[in-house]
Amino acid sequence: MKNVLTIIKKEFNRFFKDRRMVITVLLPGLLIYALYSLMGTAMSDLGKVDEDYKPTVCVVNLPEMLSEPFGAAFELTEGTAEECKTKVEEGALDTLVVFPENFTAELAEGRTPEVKVYYNSAKDNSYFAFSMVSGMLDAVNKTAFTVNSSQDKFDLANEKDMTAQITSMLVPMLMFALLSSACMAVAPESIAGEKERGTMATMLITPVNRVEIALGKIISLTCFAMLSGISSFLGVMFSLPKLMGGVITAETAALYSVGDWFMVLAVIISVVLVIISAFAVLSAYAKSVKEAGSIITPLMMVIILLGMVSMFFSSVPPLGLYAVPLLGSGLAMSSIMSFTITPAAIILSVLSNLVTAALLVVLLGFMFKSEKIMFKK
Amino acid sequence: MQEILVANNLRKSFKLSAKQRKLEKTDVAVKEAVKDLSFTAYKGEIFGLLGPNGAGKTTTLRMLATLIKPDSGDALIEGKSILADCNDVRRRIGFLTSELKLEDFFTPDYLFDFFGSLYGVDKTELSNRKRTLFSRFGIDRFAEVKFGNLSTGMKQKVSLVVSIVHDPELVIFDEPTNGLDVITAKVVTDFLEELRRDGKTIILSTHIFSLVEKLCDRVGIIIDGRMIKLDTLENLTRDANLEETFFAIYNEVTGGRL
Repeated sequence: MKNVLTIIKKEFNRFFKDRRMVITVLLPGLLIYALYSLMGTAMSDLGKVDEDYKPTVCVVNLPEMLSEPFGAAFELTEGTAEECKTKVEEGALDTLVVFPENFTAELAEGRTPEVKVYYNSAKDNSYFAFSMVSGMLDAVNKTAFTVNSSQDKFDLANEKDMTAQITSMLVPMLMFALLSSACMAVAPESIAGEKERGTMATMLITPVNRVEIALGKIISLTCFAMLSGISSFLGVMFSLPKLMGGVITAETAALYSVGDWFMVLAVIISVVLVIISAFAVLSAYAKSVKEAGSIITPLMMVIILLGMVSMFFSSVPPLGLYAVPLLGSGLAMSSIMSFTITPAAIILSVLSNLVTAALLVVLLGFMFKSEKIMFKK
Repeated sequence: MQEILVANNLRKSFKLSAKQRKLEKTDVAVKEAVKDLSFTAYKGEIFGLLGPNGAGKTTTLRMLATLIKPDSGDALIEGKSILADCNDVRRRIGFLTSELKLEDFFTPDYLFDFFGSLYGVDKTELSNRKRTLFSRFGIDRFAEVKFGNLSTGMKQKVSLVVSIVHDPELVIFDEPTNGLDVITAKVVTDFLEELRRDGKTIILSTHIFSLVEKLCDRVGIIIDGRMIKLDTLENLTRDANLEETFFAIYNEVTGGRL
């Protein structure tokens, strides 16, 4: 164990004393926060119209029955249809509404007269006015009955359920994507890089057991990837309220208990162990950092896909699935976030990852022993 | 005389890629780098392995250092097999070759401690050895400079010092003076003599005749993977100097092919 510690200490020294490495790992979190917040702000500004805005509308042949509501909602102007169309096109007028001459009579005879509403979808105000006009006309149309027109609360989902549904779908997918890119940032450099630079060979002529070298590397890399993963995760979580525009609020985190977050952390650590070990094995096989990158990319895509699979389970998945490494972790994260996790499921998912990681560490140890793998040119 | 290293019938072959086969104009898929090599090195001697590039010197040394395994044959270092007791062998040898690099990011001071710890050297002993070796090679002034920022000569000195951090009985040096200026080269060769005086056994692989003449007690001449001649330096240079002897043997074996 002493050798494992020595190797961990060396890796930590290598990592934390190199400002560039620390920045590469922590920067994604900051960038994600800045980017998502910007995107969120831009998206919520899109199509936003001042609530007190009163659209200017030109109405041709306004029927008597609608003159009152139209007069209240819009700034009405006069003009011919052709003139007004040009104005709408230019943005000088929001909407042009043309009723047939005998609109009321046609309605009474049970025919369906056509009301033409001209608008300019490139202008937010015009689109807003169009929606208002269509809404009012719909209301006239549906005189027989209405749906949900009163002020009652019809969507009976509570805030907790809604948030749970969204986070349970988002978190596994995001975490798998963020964690695998975090692992990608550290594993090839530390294993394939050392092999490429010939510094791994220097370590291999010492009497240290190969599995100890593998274990020391994996434990340190897991810590670095966790740092990067957590930084990215915080970036996402803090920017989500802005990105999702109110669906997820800053109070979301408070919906989950400390126990829930600990379970998520346990799953995440076990996931990082598996991903790092798998990437390390591929890096050890590669001749260079560059080659390692290209070998790992397909696996990384599969891992991200596994994170998305949990989105497709509408009901509670069978317990056996939790025992599948990585897939089970995605399901477990999803279940924790939707408050449906069972102790058996969480234990199975974490345990299956730990066993897989242990097997991969032993495999890595064997690879370090193989001259064909370590010294092929 | 106490036997420190006994190599018995070492063989090693490598697969040739299609490209290499084309370059070497051969249809043979496997190249035998070392063919049935046997020799013994005794305590307190400098044993020279002399041969041209590609003769199999480095492959032999890599087998002795347990970096690669022989296809057949074995070698015993202080009675420990390079096949069966890898870790015991590793504890007993120091290996210096250009293939083994140190991380540019770390300082000589850190590297010495790190490898000392991996070899399980006691802390007080490690600190004493560091003080002695660092001042012996003038590394003390550069102890806190990152390895990557050191000059070529200083890098070689640090590599040498790190390779013997655990005070091994057998030291294997592969072309230790390559690329060094005359002054640094002299520091290295003087140190090899010092190690011999301390009773250490040294295997020195080189193609520089003067170095062999200056240092070695016994010499093995390797050509094309075989040990063609093994004798004391005295016997080899009785009638002619080492260079003339070598070329006479080389021409005899290869028919003067270059």
